[in-house]
Amino acid sequence: MANFINYKNIDFQLNNQIFYANRVSVSAQASTEAVVLSDGSLLNYSPDGAVVGSLSCDFYLTGSVPSFLNITGTSESAVVGRFAEVNITGLYPKSISFSVDPFEPILISAEFDWYGSVNVENFKEQLYSYGRNKAIPSYIANAYKSYISTDNIFASEPQIGNVTNFSYMASCDRPSFFYADEKIPFRVAKMNKRCEVEISSNSLGELIDIQGKNAVTTIYLKDFYGTLLDSFPISGVLNNQNYEISEGQYMLSKASISQTVTEQKTLI
Amino acid sequence: MSYLISGLNIKNIFEYNSAQTYQKYDIIDYQLNSGISVYPDYTGLGVTGLSYWFNNDYIKDFEVDGDNNISGWLNKQGDKNLTQIENEPQRPYVDFDVNYINFRGEKNLTGTGFALDQKTIFLCLNSSKPAADDVPQNILQISNPDDINDFGYLRLSGQNFRGSSKICIDDVKLNSVSPIYDATNILTLIQTTGSSGPYVDIEVRQNGYSIGNFYDVNSGWLSGFLKIGENQNESEGFRLHELFCFSGALNSTQIDYYEKYLFEKYFINNNFYYATQNVPANNFYAPITYTGKSYWTQDINDLFRLSYGCSANFSAKLSTLNFGDGYKSVLCRNINSLNASFDLKYEGLTDRQAKALITFFENSPETQAKSDYEGFKAVNLDLFSPFKTGAQVYFLDIDHATPYNDINNIYIKGESLYESVLDYKGMFVKLDEVNIRTYSNELLGFEKNDVVYFESPSFKSRGYYFYTGEPSSSNLSEEYSPTGASSLFTKNFYFKPDIDYGVKSSLRLITQDYKGSTKQFLKDGINYNILELDLVFSKRTNKEALAILKFLDDKAGFKTFRYTLPNPYNKSIDVYCPEWNYTYNFYDNNDISVKFIEYRGLAEIETVFDTVVTFVDFT
Repeated sequence: MANFINYKNIDFQLNNQIFYANRVSVSAQASTEAVVLSDGSLLNYSPDGAVVGSLSCDFYLTGSVPSFLNITGTSESAVVGRFAEVNITGLYPKSISFSVDPFEPILISAEFDWYGSVNVENFKEQLYSYGRNKAIPSYIANAYKSYISTDNIFASEPQIGNVTNFSYMASCDRPSFFYADEKIPFRVAKMNKRCEVEISSNSLGELIDIQGKNAVTTIYLKDFYGTLLDSFPISGVLNNQNYEISEGQYMLSKASISQTVTEQKTLI
Repeated sequence: MSYLISGLNIKNIFEYNSAQTYQKYDIIDYQLNSGISVYPDYTGLGVTGLSYWFNNDYIKDFEVDGDNNISGWLNKQGDKNLTQIENEPQRPYVDFDVNYINFRGEKNLTGTGFALDQKTIFLCLNSSKPAADDVPQNILQISNPDDINDFGYLRLSGQNFRGSSKICIDDVKLNSVSPIYDATNILTLIQTTGSSGPYVDIEVRQNGYSIGNFYDVNSGWLSGFLKIGENQNESEGFRLHELFCFSGALNSTQIDYYEKYLFEKYFINNNFYYATQNVPANNFYAPITYTGKSYWTQDINDLFRLSYGCSANFSAKLSTLNFGDGYKSVLCRNINSLNASFDLKYEGLTDRQAKALITFFENSPETQAKSDYEGFKAVNLDLFSPFKTGAQVYFLDIDHATPYNDINNIYIKGESLYESVLDYKGMFVKLDEVNIRTYSNELLGFEKNDVVYFESPSFKSRGYYFYTGEPSSSNLSEEYSPTGASSLFTKNFYFKPDIDYGVKSSLRLITQDYKGSTKQFLKDGINYNILELDLVFSKRTNKEALAILKFLDDKAGFKTFRYTLPNPYNKSIDVYCPEWNYTYNFYDNNDISVKFIEYRGLAEIETVFDTVVTFVDFT
């Protein structure tokens, strides 16, 4: 008979920090292809690459986002995760996102690739005493005081309308590189780093041009009492505007600002 | 800037500066010191006080007997020479094709009149390791000819590793900073006398690095009798490249000049050094020191490992004699008849790594020449499995791609040309006793596609066998051995190609063309159905790939073997494989494609080479 694990008492940790998550999903993917011989027999299933794991989670922001979750930074280091008493040593963050809706607590969604071996068979609930002694977070980000700065968001138009909700996403690709004979990569790099902000508002100013519309803004995440937890600047281009109305609703305009994050090469 | 640096398309590579720190993958051009080099007799910088100077630059500097043994080595600076007049067996031999004099065993040269209270002696030498570790080797002796107890010695002792190798003045031993055997060394002795009394102090430098001062050394160092050689190393002794001496203690700048002169003249230094880890500042970490050797390398295998996707292409250089009727003889042109080219992939490199690898590639033609009459040496490369380590590969082309900031993929094409088909251990897939083992009745553990080498007095039985039985963790009984009655091994090509194979065949026909009218076909004698097959073995495990590649490597492109054609042919024919390609896609995912050419009229005697030579004593 299988043992079911109740998530209620399980800590989710990244680099030994507890994250108050309400969802954790771990999966592994192997890519194989059948090898059929000239006599019609099946030789085996051949691997096309390494086992690539995926971990995603949603957690409440109880402080600033830690530096190891800086998706667009230059650090490529792996993060050590721990869930259900099992370590996942080779986690490589590739996106974080959140959305801010009126009066809602803010959940951060993070996605990771992982490589290597994980003893999934050892997943278990943690001791009740451990869970009971868990520290209660002092802050939890909430939409009530959080906001996106709308002053001079477009240089040509000093002000836009009232923002009803917005979302943010930072992401990158994590190509992995292997030495011959190895099944675990020696490097999981970062490329195609980008940020995107979506805004819903009653007005977004003039229509975009063929080059979009330059946009510079910052999102401030605060707790219910106004304590600033973190900020997320973006300097990109607004390249999408939508105007939508339906029966019994107000007309809302939606737009997305996207930024390609670059860094200057160091001359060596 | 040295010609090595100026010849590159890469900027920001400098000569080694011991005052500077370096990061891993940094590149330096090591030139001993960053100053200029000055000939010992150069007077443009002022009076130097050059007292004596010996080297092997000119024939005129030697007086030799009929056997080219030296009876006199003429001082290039003054009339005090080194001689060996009376005792002929002690005369060292001079070879005018090399730039040193070899002093071994009792060989020595002596002279008088070299007395100097204060002096700076420069030697450049390369000593071999003595037969016994605890026997010090005499290099130089300066002594009072009238008092055998009044002497001064320069010696080498100990083993060739840090802490053991010593440079000795008299009986005092100092730790050397660089290897003292089988390496060129510049030794500098700076002799000063104390202000009161006949005390002599000597500072010793090895390769520009001060390794210590000796205070109150023997007063023999003040004498005028000089002897080189007469050491205890009977085998190879030491090679003295050059010896010169100035009166007075030179300052450090002057010493740097003359050490640089010796360095440029005698050190083989035509490649860059690459940092294998972060390097602190201090000339203790210079690349030729014991310590520096763990920080710097010239070996690409210490810096980079190959990625998946590497491939190899083999083609045999053959001479074909057609005898008619489809019969022919296929001969390899020389023992290096297999031409191997490799597409080497280095992926996911940082900019710093890419700079190092591109520099290595661009500088690879500067490698030392194989000899005075041959081209430069190939890169010593550890190939991807299952190929051997230490292959000699010439780098030819480079393709550098940067898909993103600080991500570099570098593809290098190289060729390896000089593997011998006579080597029974194989050319590129070697009998290494790990992946391929020599068979014995005690050998344990077998899996399908295991390759073993079977030793036998019979050359038809000897060779490589391939295990086709069920996995076994124990040894095999005699009947299942490679030559047993129910052998689980085969020497035939038993590997099955992919299901999507194709066979193209053309009839060997003669055409008679009636111009402007028609033509008719005639069969070209017998054997007009000669097959050429291109077969593909894709996504094979590492073990099967090793077995296939070993099979082909053993056949060397021209040896024939039996092959059973796939459906619907199903016939066993003799073929040879002059070309094959291999790509290492991923672990247990290997692609191999081969070209088989049918061979009719197989001679009974199988072609077998064996390099084992046994000498029999008939006395």
